[in-house]
Amino acid sequence: MSRPKLSAVLCPLLVLAGCVLPQAARCDTRPIAIVIHGGAGVIEPSRMTAERAASYRAGLAAALDAGYAVLEQGGSSLDAVTAAVRLMEDDPQFNAGRGAVLNHEGFAELDAAIMDGGSGRAGAVAGVRHVKSPVELARLVMDKSPHVLLVGDGAEEFALEQGVLLVPRSYFVTAAREQELEQARQAQHSASAGATSGNELAEQTSMGTVGAVALDRAGNLAAATSTGGLTNKMLGRVGDSPIIGAGTYASNESCAVSGTGQGEFFIRQVVAYEVCALVRYRHYPLARAVHEVIEELRRKGGEGGIIAMDPAGQIAMEFNSVGMFRGARDSRGRREVGMYRDAQRQP
Amino acid sequence: MYAIAIHGGAGAMPRATLSAERERRYRDGLEAALDAGYALLEQGGTSLDAVAAAVRTLEDDPVFNAGHGAALTRDGAAELDAAIMDGRQMRAGAVASVRHVKNPIELARRVMEKSRHVLLVGAGAEEFALEEQFVLVPNHYFRTAERLEQLQSEQRGERVSDLVPPAPQGTVGAVARDAHGNLAAATSTGGLTNKRPGRVGDSPIIGAGTYAKNGVCAVSATGHGEYFIRAVAAHHVCAAVEYRGLTLAQAVDEMLHKVLRGLGGDGGLIAVDKDGALVLDFSTEGMFRGARAADGRREIAIY
Repeated sequence: MSRPKLSAVLCPLLVLAGCVLPQAARCDTRPIAIVIHGGAGVIEPSRMTAERAASYRAGLAAALDAGYAVLEQGGSSLDAVTAAVRLMEDDPQFNAGRGAVLNHEGFAELDAAIMDGGSGRAGAVAGVRHVKSPVELARLVMDKSPHVLLVGDGAEEFALEQGVLLVPRSYFVTAAREQELEQARQAQHSASAGATSGNELAEQTSMGTVGAVALDRAGNLAAATSTGGLTNKMLGRVGDSPIIGAGTYASNESCAVSGTGQGEFFIRQVVAYEVCALVRYRHYPLARAVHEVIEELRRKGGEGGIIAMDPAGQIAMEFNSVGMFRGARDSRGRREVGMYRDAQRQP
Repeated sequence: MYAIAIHGGAGAMPRATLSAERERRYRDGLEAALDAGYALLEQGGTSLDAVAAAVRTLEDDPVFNAGHGAALTRDGAAELDAAIMDGRQMRAGAVASVRHVKNPIELARRVMEKSRHVLLVGAGAEEFALEEQFVLVPNHYFRTAERLEQLQSEQRGERVSDLVPPAPQGTVGAVARDAHGNLAAATSTGGLTNKRPGRVGDSPIIGAGTYAKNGVCAVSATGHGEYFIRAVAAHHVCAAVEYRGLTLAQAVDEMLHKVLRGLGGDGGLIAVDKDGALVLDFSTEGMFRGARAADGRREIAIY
């Protein structure tokens, strides 16, 4: 997305032009806002060191500010969520892009999706192994193909056709993720020897996923999500992140949502679309819609978190897990980064 | 009341091009699938078994675009997608881009019942199939002379540009309500002729091409998959019934003729509501379809 978008150039001009006209004096009051998450599988507070906490916070703040800067310069929400997610993909702390969790075979299989709330267009990729920024490939699927979802080798063939440079699998692998995989394999092994469910143990460790939703000055909503999925996952397993309506959804008529958590529950419940359906058809305020869906998720036995935004720039962030890496910033002066519940001590 | 509806794809298929003999083949195939599903419902079987049986019958029939006789990718291979959803517990299973599984719908069901996952794709899905004792078949099992011919004519230049997808060619699906009030939906497809390898449409996407929720509705879609994904079509229909009190017919009508038309997509939907009322509607020239219910309704139709 290095090429400047026409809208990014026109929009500030229009805003400037609008400001000199008396009836458009309210142009500054049109809100812009962005919310991000860096996963709901947060480390137990007792095991979080001050140093690690500071590092996560710095990573979240960098992504949040990168996305917000795009909006502030009159850029589109689509560019803002792409920028924010791209930064978290490149940051090895988060489970997306470099530093993504490893599957059972020991390599990363990456999924991502993006949706434009203004046009209803969407793009997604799943099971890619050599694409540095899956969210940017998802965006190319949306912008440059007639399709929405491309998977595996076919998605990478498309990447090459679009001039995307592929990277070796080793690019994504970090020592920390190799260690996690080893632990998960051992847990699975002792489980198959008769103890508790190792699969469940393995899944506890990472519900990473990164995502962003944003509202731009033109009033357009957008959502993007990117993930490496579950540590020790089965080859070919795809979660909710690249599924439009499950982990990612945006419509200017209702809301924009990105989810993180146990993907299978999010798919079955069509979580992201469900939040927006409650907003649009039940006329729930955004926070209530998100709360209802999180509660339903809990009743079904699922764990995770949701970030969401409505066309007025209202923000909702909720989770039923220990914590959720998250950040929010808007033109009303809000700027925050969080990990646990407000009531809990923030290391 | 127990009831089942099936579809064998929707699209532009001018009456003049459909010979009497071909029409007979389609009708026979639809009838066989419809009756296979209905027989299970009649014997007190579950809607899940009924939709799986109907879809498997259509997969095995080479005239429909699923399983044997599926449409071919631009590389001449078959890449198959399928999904099934059980409205009772809202469990779901799906597979995408499999190349060696004779009945993708059975693998989707196995994903639902024997794995912790909902969606498996490509080689990983086939690895799971082997672990579950499926016998894999060579890719040419799916290829028919007719599909090769379609692919070749498409590749000879009937496509205007890469940005204009060709007319939808198929997809099969079924929805049912059993005597216990359980709803289920299943969909299976080879996707678009001359599709890019790796392209996945709406069929295996829960909420887009396939969805079921007891007490609300079950839906299976066919058509321009990309539009159905963006509209979250199957779930939207059920949300309209659940949250806005629309009848199923109104909800399906709105999705096909307002939402999807607005986006520029067309296709068809079959759906069943909590009481067993069936809706079969389409925005294309025709949709291969069938419906049968305990009240004596039994029909096969194309236009």
